Amino acid sequence: MNNFTIMADTTCDLGENYQQEYGIKVIPGHFVGPDETEYISRPAWDVGFTRESFYAALKKNPTGFKTSPPSVGELFDAFSKEAEQGNDILAISISGGMSGTQNFMREAREMTLNKYPERKIVCIDSLRFGPGFGLMVVYAAMHRAAGESIDQVAAWLEENKNRFHQAGWLDDLSFVARQGRLTHAKAFFGTLAGVKPIGEFDYNGMTTVLGKAKGAKKAYEILLGYIEKTIENPEEQIIFIAHTDRLKQAELYKEMIEQKFHPKAVCINGVHPACGVNVGPGLMAAYYVGKPISKDLSEERAIIESLSKAD
Amino acid sequence: MNTRRVNGQLFEKMLRNGLANLKQHREEINALNVFPVADGDTGTNMCLTLEKGLRFAQSSQELYPYLKMLSEGMLFGARGNSGVILSQLFSGFYQELSRCAAANVADLRNAFIRAYRVAYRAVVCPVEGTILTVAREGIERTRSQIDRRTTVEALLSIYIAEMKKSLAATPDLLPVLKESGVIDSGGAGYIYIVEGMLKQLYGEELTDAIPVPAAEPVESADGSVSLELFNENTVFEHGYCMEFLLQLMKDPQYTQRFRLDTFIEDLQLYGNSIVATQADRRVKVHIHTFKPAKVIKAAQEYGEFLTFKLENMHIQHAEREQKLLEKKPHRLLSVVAVTNGEGMIKTFEELGCDVVLDGGPTMNTASEEFVTAFKAIDADAIVVLPNNKNVVRAAEQAVALANLANVTVLPTASMAEGYCALTMDMRDSEDIPLRIRQMREGAQSIRSVSVATATRNITRDGISCVAGQSIVLENDTLRAADDDPFEALAAALHAIEGLDERECCVVFLGEDAPNADEDRLTALLEDVNPMIEVTCIRGDQHIYRWLLGIF
Repeated sequence: MNNFTIMADTTCDLGENYQQEYGIKVIPGHFVGPDETEYISRPAWDVGFTRESFYAALKKNPTGFKTSPPSVGELFDAFSKEAEQGNDILAISISGGMSGTQNFMREAREMTLNKYPERKIVCIDSLRFGPGFGLMVVYAAMHRAAGESIDQVAAWLEENKNRFHQAGWLDDLSFVARQGRLTHAKAFFGTLAGVKPIGEFDYNGMTTVLGKAKGAKKAYEILLGYIEKTIENPEEQIIFIAHTDRLKQAELYKEMIEQKFHPKAVCINGVHPACGVNVGPGLMAAYYVGKPISKDLSEERAIIESLSKAD
Repeated sequence: MNTRRVNGQLFEKMLRNGLANLKQHREEINALNVFPVADGDTGTNMCLTLEKGLRFAQSSQELYPYLKMLSEGMLFGARGNSGVILSQLFSGFYQELSRCAAANVADLRNAFIRAYRVAYRAVVCPVEGTILTVAREGIERTRSQIDRRTTVEALLSIYIAEMKKSLAATPDLLPVLKESGVIDSGGAGYIYIVEGMLKQLYGEELTDAIPVPAAEPVESADGSVSLELFNENTVFEHGYCMEFLLQLMKDPQYTQRFRLDTFIEDLQLYGNSIVATQADRRVKVHIHTFKPAKVIKAAQEYGEFLTFKLENMHIQHAEREQKLLEKKPHRLLSVVAVTNGEGMIKTFEELGCDVVLDGGPTMNTASEEFVTAFKAIDADAIVVLPNNKNVVRAAEQAVALANLANVTVLPTASMAEGYCALTMDMRDSEDIPLRIRQMREGAQSIRSVSVATATRNITRDGISCVAGQSIVLENDTLRAADDDPFEALAAALHAIEGLDERECCVVFLGEDAPNADEDRLTALLEDVNPMIEVTCIRGDQHIYRWLLGIF
């Protein structure tokens, strides 16, 4: 039995093409603009913004935008719609450390099961956000397509979610710091001209700065070295590259990754407001599956440090 | 005229005259700058350092206690390289005479020898052609010229004459001096001090002989005294700051023969930091004292007060300390940096600098300011970014004075280097050595280019410029000069090798640079290297229109 529905909140940032290709249902959230206008937050540029205009507005007004997750009622409605059709649900959320979505999902699950007690709903905390979370949802869909049951897919996710890596830079850390999505967010940051902070998920899914590279050239060199040391079976993988407002750099990164690792595919994805508001315009990163991330990130830090020294 | 021994009081008088002489030539020494940029401040730094020592030291009949306080004050107050070396010279001088109540000629000569030796030791890589050479050669060459009959006056005369010869030869030892057509400024300043000391012995008292106490204003002058900072349990450590204007009276009940010099001598028994000036029948006095009643009594011998002000300096110090201490939470690693300019200070603070010291236009932060900053910080480790070659030694001296093992001075030579060090800091890491390594590498990876206005005509590094032109320096090399700053920078950038391989450039716009410079600068840099990423930040720094960090 594997005819269950995979649902994820909007921060997975999987656009229409992924939703169709992998049969994924995305639950929209909300965001508010600087003029207090409320928007539905979907992984699409469908509320009057383009990528360029959105990030230009965000740069101009870094604190003017706010995001909020789907409410318990909205989640209940979304779950009920599936349950009514007789579908079990695997619901995956953004890291519980960053958002209340996971808790809302669990409440909505209880409400839905009261109404449809014969259904099965499994909630998974991805411990990731944005493209790392999205890649995990795609993997869940691939496991389902391979014939695995809802429990098997859920078990695989629980066992492997710590293997989803982020290798990229966030050249404006102020956004993640402001939203509390950065380890040691109390540290404050001014303009880092030319410096690329290398970011990775920590054990709990928060972004941590593992090292800093002076200039893009060195940053690419370190990132490719880091992927090489942490990735497993790259030729069998779909690698995501996400960028907020760094398309040129993302394209260059894609080319380098293709040449070096020959993965099945490298997909460049934009980042929509649900995540964009929180990471700002400076994200350019690759997402892939690799070795489990160490609890204190000591192994990962050591890798970055040795790569930083190499000339 | 036939002085055989120098005690504490005489030495103090001599040195005050030395300071006065130095002050009279301060601007001339400031102008002895290798670069034609208005940041030459050797004269100012030496004055401030010596003044600090004089202000710190209490008058004493015996020489050694006076020298002890003097050298301590100078070590703390040392500003700039010249100030640091001067303080070391006096430290050595004291070390030799540390048991001497009154020094004879042989003692003094030995002390001058010890002085230069201590100063040489204090400098990591002593460079010849500097104040060190002048102080060394000057005293060593007196050897064959003195005997038992030599007076202190004669010793100092010979010493000065020999130092002048040595100074004249400094351009032969130090090519940068020759190329710039100047002699060593520190050496010149030191000679003026010794000359002033000699003049005192010849009875030539110079005006402005007494330090101006402007550096220690009483902040609570508006009457807003923090009462909780002083109570019956307070240990009264800082005395009073007293200022008054005295009207000398004609009534026979007052002493009629007023002489300013003897009045000052009387006051020195009760306090220090004395400034007293006379205009006709009125005398203005400033003094720091623990015994205000005695000062009042001494003054009332001659007249009555027109104005009078007395403030408890303990409160002022306590307020300052409290302010500093309150502000600093515990950190694994704290950074202290020297900058100038509103934008620059803000930038450094935003990047996580815990203490940003305003170095002023010429960046002449005193060792004492660093020591105060260290005290205010609660951190496992401290990194200092002096951001100017001339501040590195003052910072290092502060570390030695504070006797701290956890302070690392990264010898950043420009604010751009300091900025790049900070941008590479890993503030969320608990690995202190890693963070220091990161900052060091950050500072080392950049090339600093600065643009300023020439203060005089000069030819060096194959470039000629006239006063008023824009000049461009790459680290310590003059790269270009032109009437137009953009043209000058463009020419300089083309002269810098390997620029096409660099990726980023951060530009700090100085206080005189309009924001509109940003677009032209970006275009100019991209013209030299189309791939370069340019970031402009408002630094508002003095003197330098633009400071560039290229990496």
